[in-house]
This record gives sequence, C-alpha cells and structure tokens, in this order.
Amino acid sequence: MSKRIVVDPVTRIEGHLRIEAEIENGKIKDAYSSGTMVRLLEEILRNRDPRDAWAIVGRVCGVCTSVHSLTSVRSVEDALNITIPPNAELVRNIMYCTSFMHDHVVHFYHLHAMDWIDVVNALKADPQKTSALAQKISKWPKSSPGYFSDLQARIRKLVDSGQLGIFSNGYWGHPAYKLPPEVNLIGLAHYLEALEWQKEVVKVQAVFGGKNPHPNYLVGGMACAIGIDDVSGINAERLSLVKSILEEAKTFIEQVYIPDLMTIASYYKEWGSIGGGLGNFMVYGDLPWNGYRDASSYKFPPGVILNKDLSKLYEVDLRNDGDVQEFITHSWYEYKGGKDIGLHPWKGESKIKYTGPKPPFEHLDMSQAYSYLKTPRWQGHAMEVGPLARVLVGYARGREEFKDVVDRALKTLDIPASALISTLGRTAARGFEASLVSQWALDFYYQLVDNIKKGDTRMANMDMFNPDTWPKKAIGVGHAEAPRGALAHWINIEDKKISNYQLVVPTTWNASPRDSKGQLSAYESALLGTPVADEKQPLEILRTVHSFDPCLACAVHLYDEHGNHINRVSVLEA
Amino acid sequence: MRKSKTLLLGVGNYLMGDEGIGVHVAQRLETSQEIPGIDVVDGGTGGFHLLEFFEQYEKVILVDATLDGKTPGTIRCIKPKYASDFPPEISAHDIGLKDLVSALQLLDRMPELYLFVVSIESIQQQGMELTEEIEESIPSLLEEIRSVV
Repeated sequence: MSKRIVVDPVTRIEGHLRIEAEIENGKIKDAYSSGTMVRLLEEILRNRDPRDAWAIVGRVCGVCTSVHSLTSVRSVEDALNITIPPNAELVRNIMYCTSFMHDHVVHFYHLHAMDWIDVVNALKADPQKTSALAQKISKWPKSSPGYFSDLQARIRKLVDSGQLGIFSNGYWGHPAYKLPPEVNLIGLAHYLEALEWQKEVVKVQAVFGGKNPHPNYLVGGMACAIGIDDVSGINAERLSLVKSILEEAKTFIEQVYIPDLMTIASYYKEWGSIGGGLGNFMVYGDLPWNGYRDASSYKFPPGVILNKDLSKLYEVDLRNDGDVQEFITHSWYEYKGGKDIGLHPWKGESKIKYTGPKPPFEHLDMSQAYSYLKTPRWQGHAMEVGPLARVLVGYARGREEFKDVVDRALKTLDIPASALISTLGRTAARGFEASLVSQWALDFYYQLVDNIKKGDTRMANMDMFNPDTWPKKAIGVGHAEAPRGALAHWINIEDKKISNYQLVVPTTWNASPRDSKGQLSAYESALLGTPVADEKQPLEILRTVHSFDPCLACAVHLYDEHGNHINRVSVLEA
Repeated sequence: MRKSKTLLLGVGNYLMGDEGIGVHVAQRLETSQEIPGIDVVDGGTGGFHLLEFFEQYEKVILVDATLDGKTPGTIRCIKPKYASDFPPEISAHDIGLKDLVSALQLLDRMPELYLFVVSIESIQQQGMELTEEIEESIPSLLEEIRSVV
C-alpha cells in the first residue's frame, strides 16, 4: 500500500514550495511539486519605462536581486541594439561573480548543510579530535582545540535554553545522518564563519552598484564612474578593497567550502545514485570575456544535453519560437488560445485562473492544475538547469577548467562519473563552479584594472538612452546564469513603454508541474526512487529538493494562505 | 558610511503593496530628516545581506509588515531577544532575517533591537503603493520610532 506525504512549505528556501510524494515500500513512487504563491510581476512591469525595469525586478527577492537586474538591462539592450563598453561588462561580471559565490556558500552552509549535518550530535565531538581532523583536511587557521570547545559550549548553552534558533527546524537524530560528531562540529563552526564571510563579500556590490541589497544597474552600462583619484568614484582605494575581498572569497572557498564539501560527501556516497532525475540539462551561458554577444567567449558555455549523452550538445536559441515555450496544462493560468498550447515568452500571457481547492486543503488534485508555476519546455523537453547543468555542459564542451575540477573530485571521492548525475553530484557541482568563479572574479578584476591603467574609463554607452531615439516597436531577450540556473527575460517595447515582459526563471524550469504529455519536470523526476526512512521526518526529500537550491520568490510571488510559515508534514493514506 | 549609533532598517517587498511598508518608511526617512540622529537603510528583501548592519550599530530599529490578523495599521513594538520572539507571520522575505538574529545571539553580538511591525490585511496585493489605511498609520509609526531613538 502506498502513502502520500505532504511537505508544505519546504523550509530553508526562499519562497513557498509544496511537495506531495507517494511512498511505497520505503521509496518515492510518484512526486508532485507545487508553487503555491502567485506571481504577477509581469503586470507590475506593463506600461513602465523599460529603463526602470531593472530596479523593479531587482526587488523581487532577497537572494538573487542583482542577477534579475542584470538580465533585465541585457533584455533592453538587446531590444535597442546597444553594445556596452568593455569595462561595464567587466564590472557586471565582477558583481555577478560576487553574488554567485555569496549565493553558493550561503546555500551550502545555511540552507542545505543541515540536511547532512546533525547539529545536536556535534555536542558529542571531541575538540582534540575535531582539531586534528580540521588540520588534516585544510590549512584554514581557525582549527585549534580551544576554538572548537568554545563553540561547543555556545551550542550547548543554546540547546539547554530550548532556543535552537537557526537550528530549530531540523530532524536531529534522524537515522539518515551519517557524519561523525567531529565532522558535524566542523560543519557547524563553518556555518557561523560563512555567515561572517558572506557579509564581507557583498560589499563588492555596494562598491560598484552604489548600495546593497538591490545594487544599481543602468541600461547601456554601469552607473559607477571610474576616477582613480576621485573620492566619490571608483578610485584606487575602492579597487583595492574589491581585490582584497575577492582574494579572501577565494581563500574561503578553497580552504573551507571545498574541503567541507568533499569531507561530507565522502560519508554520503550512496547519494551519488539517488536523485539523478531527468538527465536533460540546459545552460544559456554567462560571464563573457569578449562582450555579451559573443557566446563563444563565455566562461560558462551554453548548450543542451539530452538523456545524459555528453557526446552530443545542442544549441539553445532564445529567439526561436519553438525553442522555449511555456505550458499551463497543470498550472493555475489561462491562455486566450486554450489550456493545451505552449507560448514563446514574446507572446507570453500571465492571466491567473485558480481552480484548486479552497485553502487550507489536505491535498491537491494532480490530474488538474496544481501549481502557480507554468511549465517551460525546450523543444518539448523538460530540462534541469543550474550548477550540475553548467558543470556538465562545460565538461562536454571540453573546457579544461571544468574537466580538471570534476576529474579531481571524482578521484578524491573514488566514485564513477555516473555518480555526478545525482543529489550528491548536484551539490558537489555547486562547489566546483564556486571554486572556478572565485578565480574568474580575480581574472575579471585584473582585466578591469589593466583597462583603467591604459586610460579606458568608459563605463556606459548612452547613445540610445533617450527614448526619442527608439523604434516604435522593439523586442529583446536577455539571459544570465543565475546561481540556481538559466534565467531569461523577454521584453516587448511599444511607444517607449513595456507592452509585455516575461520572466522564465530557473526554479520554474526545475520545480514546474507536469506538461500536457505527462512529462515530469526536474524536481518531480529527481524525487522518484528516493528512499524515505521515516514518513513523518522526510529528510531525504529535503536533501534532493534542496540540492536544486529552490528559490520561488521570483518564480511565484504571493502567499495564498494566511501566514502559513510553520513547517507542516502530513501523512495521508492513499 | 556609519554616522550615528542607531540604525533604522526598513525591510519588506516593495512590489507587494503594504508588505513594503518598511521600505516606504526607510525611503521617506532617507530623504526627509524627520528623525534626526539615526542612519537609515532600505533593506528591501535583503535577508543574509543585512548582517553587516546588525554588527555596525549599537541600536537597530527594524520596521516590517506582519499578517497577524489585527486591524490593518495596528503598530506593535517588540524587543526580540530570540528569533522565536518574532511574530511567526512576519513578511514574505523569510529566509535570512530570523537566522541572522539567531546567529547574532549565538555569537553574543546582538545589538539593542527594536522591531516595529505594522499589521497589514493581505500580501495578496501587487504594486508599489500602500493602501490608505497603512499610509495613514505612518505618522503614528514615526512618533513611536522617535520614542525609542
């Protein structure tokens, strides 16, 4: 007999996600992912000045604010055929790298690590042994026995007070936790250190973007003036601050994040055969070396992989009507042309039609619409986007940097390449690319300094900034690789205003409901076969879902239930 | 950047109508000088990004929206010591802020913290404007904020 369990909302993510899973003989037989907030950002943007869209989309969530702003200015620049100066591209890349590293480290330590690390068990650790282990895996200096025993005392105080705070939502003591107490304690120490670290890293956003959170962007370039001796502009002092932050970021990723990731992974190798999912991967590409229009210069190369076949890569064309389409068969929307058609985002519609049960409800009817997320497809195929897709496409393109980092990790962990397409592989891929990006950030920085030294201080191309220079109608698409995957904004401009604006965000690719052919999207597919030891504490579901780094704030937008913030897991007899 | 010992940090989602009350208040105080002697930051939906502000100031005054079922425009001042003292229904930008408070407490680095919450009817709204009821609560909110500066 199968049982249906409901996790709603999934905690430690941004936004509101509901997972329903059918469990039979201790394994997930079927799974449904539902976004239970609605998004109407498109409606807010309609009739506004396209040059302001970046500021509005940047407000959509607190996690990836700047990548939406970046994508937005790219879409407008595409529509108006604006080429930005090289320095603006470099500044955008540096800001991108900063927010990317921030996001991955915060995801690993603050949103995902507690799926693997048992906080309460860390109290049993021997500080001496912890110190010896920490020194064996890394040269990171904070590793003395006193450091760990002091930390342990703080945690004990917290646990004794009954105020678990950050750690109050865990399934502590669950049999699926496998780490020795000493590894748990190291993970916990680095949870706190990462919190301090992330606060420094984001300062780069404020240097170039004027403020943080929600830094400033500009259609045509960037809004920061370069003046080596200028007190208010990007001067020598600010550039040297950026350099030291980027260097520290790289050190932390190399000496803390990667060693922790590899150590934790070595205790969870069985997760190399769980949570693989679709086997279809898509990357739009990002981090241009030679201008955004030259996709061959991207540090993250674009491409599509189908059925795990790395020997053949397909190209994505975001302008082609049949490439990216959004379907609503199982979504609470309606299209003028009916429920079964797919629409390219330039022709996209965002009219909500909620047909689900009146909340609060026990479960959703999955034969009907069951999500506020639409279902995007590439040439009809469901796609996984995100770190694993980027790493596999980089590898399949034969890029040495990707091959090097992947091959080294496979050797260290002594696992086969096939183990990459899994929950473990997805989580590891996030670390691999964080480490690549930490180096690229410095490369971009040195290039920027070099340009400035040569006297190039151009930061914006304002030729087309005045709307009087625009054509009556224009369409554009801007893309980026957000930390959690391929992101694109499609814009239609008419009479100097936005007439349509569609965002297809990474979590929509990954977390969407089934399509009209019944094909599962990435979350649903990855959950199939996942073991669940205790239905009331479905830690394993969290592991796989969190491995995608869900962020639904932009995928969907409003709560439809009153203050439903408390984690709820229900077990229903099916 | 830091000019005084007290920070007013307005948080919320500016695109979700009344949910953005904290941001509206911060943006108003940034330009108006209505409350002298404080620094003001529009924290938006900042979450983890906001840690540096908690560490830089002796006193932090947070302004946010809450869905607590009270009459819209009701203002409450809470002095949270632990994350669990936050109203459970606080705003949509739920990752980060409470974790930050827990972490600061764990690290013994909590500033003196005041949390002003304004009750709102719904976060179903879209748009960057406040409803009349919430707009009208701003003068009394500013008065109450002045009393703790």
